[in-house]
Amino acid sequence: MSEGGAGWVGAPLPLKEDARLVAGRGRFLDDLGRAHLLHAAMLRSPHAHARIVRVNASAAAAMPGVLAVLTGAEAAARSGPIRPLIPTTASVPDHCLAADRVRYVGEPVAAVAATDRATAEDALERIRVEYEPLPAVVDPEAAMRADAPLLYPALGTNVVWHDALTYGDVDGALARADGVLRERFAIQRYASTPLETFGAIAEYDAGTDAYEFWTNDQRPGLTISILAASLGVPQSRVRLHCPDIGGAFGNKRRPAYLLICALLSRAAGRPVKWVEDRIENLTALMHACNGVMEVELAYRADGTLLALSVRDVADEGKNLLTPTQHNLIKLGNIANGYRIPAVRYEAWSVLTNKCPSGANRGIGKPFMCFAIERAMTLLARRLGVDPAELRLRNYVTADQMPYTTPPGAEYDSGDYPATLRKALERFDYAGWRAEQARARAAGRLLGIGIATSVEPAGTNLASYELVTGRRAASGSAEAAMVRVEPDGQVRVSLGDPSSGQGYETVVAQIVADELGVTPTEVTVARGFDSSTTPWLYLSGNYSNKFSVTDVGAVVGAAARVRAKLLRIAAHRLEIDVADLELRDGAAVVRGAPDRRLALAELARTAYADVLGLPPGEDPGLEVHHIHQNPLARPVDADRRVRSQLVFANAAHCCLVEIDPRTGQIALRKYVVVHDCGRELNPLIVEGMVHGSTVHGIGAALLEEFRYDEAGQLLTSTFMDYLKPTAADVPTIEVDRLEHPSPVTPLGAKGVGEGGSIPGPAAVANAVEDALAHLGVVVRSLPITPEQVWRWLRAGSG
Amino acid sequence: MTSGATAPTPAERLRVRFTVNDRPVEHEIEARRSLADFLRDDLALTGTHVGCEHGVCGACTVLVDGRSARSCLLLAVQLDGARVTTIEGLTPAAGLSPLQEAFRTCHAMQCGFCTPGMIVASTELLATTPAPDEAAIRDALAGNLCMCTGYVNIVRAVAQAAARRADAPVRP
Repeated sequence: MSEGGAGWVGAPLPLKEDARLVAGRGRFLDDLGRAHLLHAAMLRSPHAHARIVRVNASAAAAMPGVLAVLTGAEAAARSGPIRPLIPTTASVPDHCLAADRVRYVGEPVAAVAATDRATAEDALERIRVEYEPLPAVVDPEAAMRADAPLLYPALGTNVVWHDALTYGDVDGALARADGVLRERFAIQRYASTPLETFGAIAEYDAGTDAYEFWTNDQRPGLTISILAASLGVPQSRVRLHCPDIGGAFGNKRRPAYLLICALLSRAAGRPVKWVEDRIENLTALMHACNGVMEVELAYRADGTLLALSVRDVADEGKNLLTPTQHNLIKLGNIANGYRIPAVRYEAWSVLTNKCPSGANRGIGKPFMCFAIERAMTLLARRLGVDPAELRLRNYVTADQMPYTTPPGAEYDSGDYPATLRKALERFDYAGWRAEQARARAAGRLLGIGIATSVEPAGTNLASYELVTGRRAASGSAEAAMVRVEPDGQVRVSLGDPSSGQGYETVVAQIVADELGVTPTEVTVARGFDSSTTPWLYLSGNYSNKFSVTDVGAVVGAAARVRAKLLRIAAHRLEIDVADLELRDGAAVVRGAPDRRLALAELARTAYADVLGLPPGEDPGLEVHHIHQNPLARPVDADRRVRSQLVFANAAHCCLVEIDPRTGQIALRKYVVVHDCGRELNPLIVEGMVHGSTVHGIGAALLEEFRYDEAGQLLTSTFMDYLKPTAADVPTIEVDRLEHPSPVTPLGAKGVGEGGSIPGPAAVANAVEDALAHLGVVVRSLPITPEQVWRWLRAGSG
Repeated sequence: MTSGATAPTPAERLRVRFTVNDRPVEHEIEARRSLADFLRDDLALTGTHVGCEHGVCGACTVLVDGRSARSCLLLAVQLDGARVTTIEGLTPAAGLSPLQEAFRTCHAMQCGFCTPGMIVASTELLATTPAPDEAAIRDALAGNLCMCTGYVNIVRAVAQAAARRADAPVRP
């Protein structure tokens, strides 16, 4: 922070954007129009796996109001395959529409553009698709078998990646240990289901052979490169805008739909809008991988951890774009906050006939944390040690920071034992343990759950080299622009479009401190526009990266503008730069506050009276800056890599009560103590902690994409895919530690994924704790009242 | 086309008159058109958001004759003679209402997509229950999903607005 900073950073400033959102004045994708806009609808596969014999769309095309129809064969002829982010051995072409075969229920096979959505949907009913059903494979372990139905016969397997990575003497530790805890865990498919669904408007301009998109896609840098490549135009003729985004959580990135809209627009000669409906969203957009994990945890009799060996099967569904992503991120966080000298990770990334998996809040970490925190809890029970005590014996401690885990993650700072201790104190752990015993005697079932986690920020794409054997993208970086306008007001834009993180406010706070103005005088552009926003392939709203790359870009750009303002002021006042500071909207002489030049006056020099500039100084007050996180490195010779970059941490402590008659689980109390380094705006930070924790609770107790054996999704509406409501969750009580990161410009760390990582484990540990006297072991999620009721029946029988 | 005693076909247009935010509306509307689509696309009142189109998420909540209703589950032609209030009608010409101000002060939103529905549902609650406790607030908002906030700050905002007794009740 600059010396002139007025302390806006760190203030719980109410949000600028909230003033419009609370009045319904946000501008979301579906609020946008274009002249002569058409509306698209998608025809989707009713089969989990089938050969497409023929498609006849002539009756649909002949309908009044229908301007364009696109089949899979036409799409394949008019556009190239979608380039994968992680090109595994599964190098089979993946087009925006299915042409010869469908591989999950809901896969789009044709699309219609019409004058209104209802007409487009009517037209879908006139498209005849003849399918030849094929056997579907739904379970990932079944999909690994040699006789399994194959999604892609050309690959000869459904396994797109299998590898074993060993760091340290795992076998020796397993052999020498006093004991080894072996357990098998499973996690279901779920998703964060942003309340605004995915969508896009595409407009083809035949005059310039250019495409323009408006979309709530959260990763515009990557998406632009895919669109241009598939459409066969240079990136200079693809323009992409993001308006307000109604939540994203990783789910909002499916370039196939943007391509479909673009091809329809090109065919119809008019702009085309498509907004996903909720059933499409739940059936076909993006699910977190389900999977199974086998854990071996070697320990000494005193509870000291010696080695961890994990076998992990990730069910990707039909995901050819980002397979192995869940695996790699689990590997990067496998040790959680513990000192574990030796680690082995054997992974399978497996295709099945289900919705493509993809990024979802925490990607892989919720399951990794669930497995390790369940294992720690079971080990504590086995050893007769309090679960908090066992964790305290094994944490990486503050004096061991920075600490490198066996697979190469570097924990930069923090005090994990202090975080848990504070959570226990805030929760009144001792008091509730006593109350639990009293309640048990009275026939009530109370359970206390503890789970702790690390929370990384920023992804180093070099880690994909572990899978692909070559490096295509690497590091973590973001771009920002800061400009003092000719009137002295400040404008900022950022390559990362906010989807609810309050960037218009927190970025204004950062810039205000750098330039000695108030946040009111700083306007941060809403969303993204590839023609005016500086951006990189790496740009976007993902990977918790704001604190570790975006902040650096903003600070860097603002600092360079600041330096230029001071040089101009020094020249005009004929004084040394060192004798000046920026504050109260002006360059002010230290010790002589009456000698000052307002930003508007300096801007007049920079833009209008340019002969007044110092010799050699370029006119203008606009700086583009890119910040590259300094921790990212390539994969080393021992296959170690910092796949993620800066580590926050948290401790969750919760109390459940189980109704012994019905199996209903009520969350009575939930405490989170977290440490995300310096909090840039505590109001935003605390909101993130609340929301992410409730995501974790939903995954623990309610949410599941359930498929039957034929691959039909049974939970495709919010009537049966259940989200937590206000009545289902308690007030999340939040407290904090603040160990600034030594490697980010303002000391901040990630906080967006937050409670989604340890939340499922904390709730599961609490439910098991309530039922431990019945010998219950929670091995999978979600924990439903029906499951609890069965445990209670079995236990009492 | 006249429908007489028989039900209209989905694409048949019917003439209806009602008020939206105190302004009279008279339109010929397709029988199948939802109130949400009519408000958003025909009246450009885009503050009413559509999150699920099956009546669960509550983003499209509006007031019909002072009572909350899902505009995605109502057909616009059902509203003949009714009085509809949307988030635009609950927002003063200048500034924010006390309830909206409480939402802003408490940061009771993140992406803001659920917020108009939350404001409408909270307006109904405070009109009928001026001093709700936390359980009553949570119960009243249980029909409105928020994927961002975990509801903590929303509950705080409604409690704060109630405590300040500043929120004008909905007119009968």
